[in-house]
Amino acid sequence: MTEATPEVTRPRPAEATPRRLFRDEARTEAVQCLACGGPVALRGFGAIQRVVCPACGSLLRPEDSGALALIHRAARAHQESVLPLHARGRLDGATWEIVGICWRTVPGWPWQEFLLYNPYRGYRYLAYSTNDGHWSLGQVIPGAPKIVPGKRHAITYRGRRYRHFSGADAYVTYAEGEFPWQVQVGDAAHIDDFVAPPHGISIEEVAASDGVELTRTAMRHLDATEVWRAFEQPGKPPKQKGVGMLAPNRWREQALSLWLSCLVLLVAWYFAVQHVSAGASEREVFQATDLRFDGVLSQEVTIGEPGSSTTVEISFTAYPLDNSWAFAEVVLIPIDGEEAIGLGMEASSYSGFEDGESWSEGDRQVDHVLGRVAGGRYLLQVTPERDTSALAANDPLGLRLGTFGPFGVRSPDTWAIRVREDVFLTRYATLPVPIILGFPLLAWLLGRRRERKRWAGSDYGT
Amino acid sequence: MERERQVSCPQCGAPAPFRGTAVSLVCEHCGSTVVRTGVDLRLLGRVSAVVDDGSPLLLGGKGSFAGRGFELVGRLQLRYARGAWSEWYLQFADGVGWLADFQGNYAVTTPVAGGPELPGFYNMAIGTWHEVQGGEHMVVDKRAARYQGAEGVLPFVAEPGLTFFSLDLAGPDDQFVSLDYGVDPYGTRPAVYLGRAVELAELGLDRLRRFEGWRD
Repeated sequence: MTEATPEVTRPRPAEATPRRLFRDEARTEAVQCLACGGPVALRGFGAIQRVVCPACGSLLRPEDSGALALIHRAARAHQESVLPLHARGRLDGATWEIVGICWRTVPGWPWQEFLLYNPYRGYRYLAYSTNDGHWSLGQVIPGAPKIVPGKRHAITYRGRRYRHFSGADAYVTYAEGEFPWQVQVGDAAHIDDFVAPPHGISIEEVAASDGVELTRTAMRHLDATEVWRAFEQPGKPPKQKGVGMLAPNRWREQALSLWLSCLVLLVAWYFAVQHVSAGASEREVFQATDLRFDGVLSQEVTIGEPGSSTTVEISFTAYPLDNSWAFAEVVLIPIDGEEAIGLGMEASSYSGFEDGESWSEGDRQVDHVLGRVAGGRYLLQVTPERDTSALAANDPLGLRLGTFGPFGVRSPDTWAIRVREDVFLTRYATLPVPIILGFPLLAWLLGRRRERKRWAGSDYGT
Repeated sequence: MERERQVSCPQCGAPAPFRGTAVSLVCEHCGSTVVRTGVDLRLLGRVSAVVDDGSPLLLGGKGSFAGRGFELVGRLQLRYARGAWSEWYLQFADGVGWLADFQGNYAVTTPVAGGPELPGFYNMAIGTWHEVQGGEHMVVDKRAARYQGAEGVLPFVAEPGLTFFSLDLAGPDDQFVSLDYGVDPYGTRPAVYLGRAVELAELGLDRLRRFEGWRD
């Protein structure tokens, strides 16, 4: 930076007399810009290195004497920032004044940085991302974050792990007010951002002619309405869009408690199921085996107690059953009622050997559970059918190519049926499981979607 | 406590309240720097001009750190390209220490005897980790600074205009280490000051500077 021979204002009166060891109150001042003559309020007290005239953008330097020296004359127009210079607000339990405003940008991502000052607490950095309207509050941290070894760049600090989000050179595009550093439009600094939403750490390398400094700034997300309230701004803040770099992810924050409550519900569900199934008597109503396929079964049965309903399980099976099928049409006709219950049940079994692998499918026994069957007397009618392809009757030439017809095929000779009442309804018992698991899974999916949106703006976005 | 011998400023005759092992003193009344060598006093003249760096601390302020009371008995102000900062000389009941004061960031350190052998100033790269006093610390600040001015008493003669070299290192648990290479950046045995970062409020200072328009 070239600094021309400074033009100097006359020394401020306070400088003429020796300081009584700073025991007098430090005063704010109102001076005139040496370039444009516009008013410049000095409210940052002693630590200020640069003053940028809000009106014309000329760069001024406070001398040791207290006078201001003009080091760069400019004639840029004043631009409105989202918060005004010298506004005061309360954040983190203290009052802060905006003493400087600095617009910075990494290509495509501009932000406005408000330098907050409190003489007893130092500085804070309030950042407003122009593109998406998100806010964050930064404070220099004394410690050094440790680098976590691994493929993805990450650091830890005070027990929290931060993942690298982006690294880029940031340029100053606009400034006004007072700064404790040598701000200048066009200045570049390399910034690496690490995130653990809603927290983040920004590491910035600041180099000067006689040294270099690595500043570590801890940031946290601020809600726009919180900022507006803190600075008592009228109306509503600019709308926040998308997922900011540090925007909280409530789906992620609540993931643990969701999974825990899911676990509690599953345990409760398990014991409830145990309790209910232990209470089911599973009484056998009727059973018949070794039945032939040439007749229709007709049998009167009594199910449950009259006036109440019960669950009924009907099981059908046939033997032998190899690469074959058997079918039963089951009808329960209430003797004193009207609505009959009818169902078809197919037992089958197929297997083979293909491409070096054996396979099998089908069920030799089929069970069907009927819920809410009214108690009373019923006529049970079963009409069986079977696959007849491998029976002797289909071999009129008597070739008897194999004992059982086509190779490996055995059609059934007999069938069996069983009716039980007051059985445990598994299909209703499992119904709550997807609902219990659904909430955390949904939260996980929504959380993941939010993180994808956030990271789309990072160095790692697609 | 040992009673100090009453001495006077050779320039203006005002009391010169040297204490402990202090070697130099800036007279509060006339601004002259007075150097003590044994029982002799030497006048260095008005060589010191502390500039306003916006610090809220005041010479003579009393506070405590880690349960030990101290008084701010001296201030060394330093300047580099990025601004000025102060190192306050602390007198504890049983020793001395320093309070670094830079733009609202504070750290209390005490000198460590027999520091480790370390690379020279120019070979300590920013962002690198080094073992100092049994802990790993990262170099976070590297600078050449000039003595700007002084107030009160100091344990050495601070001659304005000298350039000295120092590094600040930070630990993962907010430890703070200052390596003072003095005027020799090629030295390998910098003076080590060890401590930690502090908040101004936790020092409980009995007096602070007043700023127009501010109360807390």
